[in-house]
Amino acid sequence: MLERKGDIWIGCGLLAFCAFAAWRSTMVKSVSAGTSAGPTFVPWLMIAGIAILALALVIRALRSQDLSRVDLPEKAVFIKMAALAVLMVAYAAAFMAIGYLPATLTVFVIGLWLFDERRWLVLTLVPVGITGVVYLGFTEFLNVWLP
Amino acid sequence: MCLRSPRQAALKKIRPPMEFASYLLPLFQLNVIGAIALGTLGGLIVGALPGLTATMGVALLIPLTFGMTPVMGLNMLIGIYIGGIYGGCVSAILLRTPGTPASAATVLDGYPMAARGEAGKALGMATIASTIGGLFAAVVLATLAPQLAGIALKFGAPEYFALAFFGLTIIASLSGDILKGVLSGMVGILIACVGADPISGVLRYTFGVSGFASGFAFTPALIGLFALSEVFTQMERLALDPGRAMPVTGRWPSRQDMSESKGGLIRGSLIGTIIGIIPGTGSGTASWIAYNETRRSSKQPHKFGTGYAPGIAATESANNAVCAAALIPLLALGIPGDVVTAVLMGGLMIQGLAPGPMLFQTNPDVIVGIFGGTFLATIFMFIFGMLLIPLFSRILLIPRHILAVSIVIFCFIGAFAINLNAVDLYTMVGFGVLGWGMQKFGFSQPAVCIALILGPMMESNLRRGLLQTGDDVLAFVSGPITLLFLGLAVLSLVWPLIAARIARNVTLPSE
Repeated sequence: MLERKGDIWIGCGLLAFCAFAAWRSTMVKSVSAGTSAGPTFVPWLMIAGIAILALALVIRALRSQDLSRVDLPEKAVFIKMAALAVLMVAYAAAFMAIGYLPATLTVFVIGLWLFDERRWLVLTLVPVGITGVVYLGFTEFLNVWLP
Repeated sequence: MCLRSPRQAALKKIRPPMEFASYLLPLFQLNVIGAIALGTLGGLIVGALPGLTATMGVALLIPLTFGMTPVMGLNMLIGIYIGGIYGGCVSAILLRTPGTPASAATVLDGYPMAARGEAGKALGMATIASTIGGLFAAVVLATLAPQLAGIALKFGAPEYFALAFFGLTIIASLSGDILKGVLSGMVGILIACVGADPISGVLRYTFGVSGFASGFAFTPALIGLFALSEVFTQMERLALDPGRAMPVTGRWPSRQDMSESKGGLIRGSLIGTIIGIIPGTGSGTASWIAYNETRRSSKQPHKFGTGYAPGIAATESANNAVCAAALIPLLALGIPGDVVTAVLMGGLMIQGLAPGPMLFQTNPDVIVGIFGGTFLATIFMFIFGMLLIPLFSRILLIPRHILAVSIVIFCFIGAFAINLNAVDLYTMVGFGVLGWGMQKFGFSQPAVCIALILGPMMESNLRRGLLQTGDDVLAFVSGPITLLFLGLAVLSLVWPLIAARIARNVTLPSE
């Protein structure tokens, strides 16, 4: 992907983000605090600044003749990365719900699988070993409670 | 005259010899020394593996320090920092791939030495140079930081605002693309506005989620930005050939190498220390400038880039001098000297400590402990470095996919352990994906990190100052200190242009 094409998309995305943030800023309660600078003073400054710079990013990209490319991952790798991101969200949800040990063991095995590990010994022994050692280390030595 | 009293008060807190010795006592306990040694060793391994940076190591292990004493926890993190920056030279020399950006210049002379069978000698020189640079900067840290903190005690709201503003302009120098760097910083400040307003307590952008009332948790955000994002990058990199490490024989550089490297060691240590004190510049810049200056002043400049030991001496002494020097603005002024010290701020916050001049008054034991810990970590770095030289090529063989999944697990436990809160896990994943995307499209993760730290400081001091002065904006540009910092802020914005000019002047030797 051409970098400047990416910049146009990102610039437009940031402008949309600014519109959203501006809308949310109007919903923040204004409180009289003895100064004209209220709770939304700095946010408004930033929204204005981001909007101006995002516009500058888009204009710069449109005018640029630069052919630099962004090395995006290949489709197969990208799908794996997306799957890893989904796995992390699921891990976050499962961490409290089903507890550290079952959640971590499952995530470890699926994670290794996503990294193309297919040796069954590695897929079983490594997750059990590392999950157990980490659990003992945190709960016994560092006194961190894990669900 | 005003300056004298608080300054003396700050110095008095840590100067009397007996008190100084008593502050050092917590450092010389077996568990503290063990933590520093472990941190340094861990940092060395993390730094040695290409793609895993010292920043990531510190971010990942901050939560481990939660149950430790401040001296123990902070010094362990400093050990990771020092070990991590040094460790970068291992893969630079053996794989021709710098383990950290700080060691990029080491590749120029390190790899050619390894290629002609002198890998051990190159690693030995890097270890000695890193130790000399690190110890020199540690002396400067212990001498200069209290002086600077004494001056900073005089600051009011306008001065702190100017200081935070100066710190934020560092963003420009941290990013190759100024526009994207400043954009990243502004987005970071806006993200930092989530939660209760620091003056009125009004909730902003929380979307009704009670977990966001105090804003995004800083440490999970850091872990996401610097550690979790790296796992995605590793997934991409593993598809590529990781390369083959050079065999290692020998350990000590010859007398002739040492004699020829004297100038490089001195220049590297000095340049690294000065660059480290300037917020935002970092180890990478220091090592390139030191390399260029040493080559320029050498009687045999043609030897640089062909596997010449003074080249390694200059770059490695410079990048490790930055470590201790970057702690000076962090401890004395509360603004980070480089990206790793920005992350280290998270370690201070976890301990309930606010970096800045007041720390010298309220916790002189921690300050002295950090001074001493920096020395100890540098000594451990030397010991482990020299002992492990024959094993370095094996460290590079650690299965990276197992490491990557283990990092995910560590990230989750680390983010969870701070507040025992599931919202922090989602925050971390969100920042992890954001961090990967930013890295991919040339935006600056460190800029977001610094904005998350300094944004609230800038906002609260700006609004407090306006409140105190009855909305008098001129109060922010009338004092000598505010003018100094605003001037430095302008300089910081111009710095990337100067750096680009310097980089153009560095003509790289042909490979």
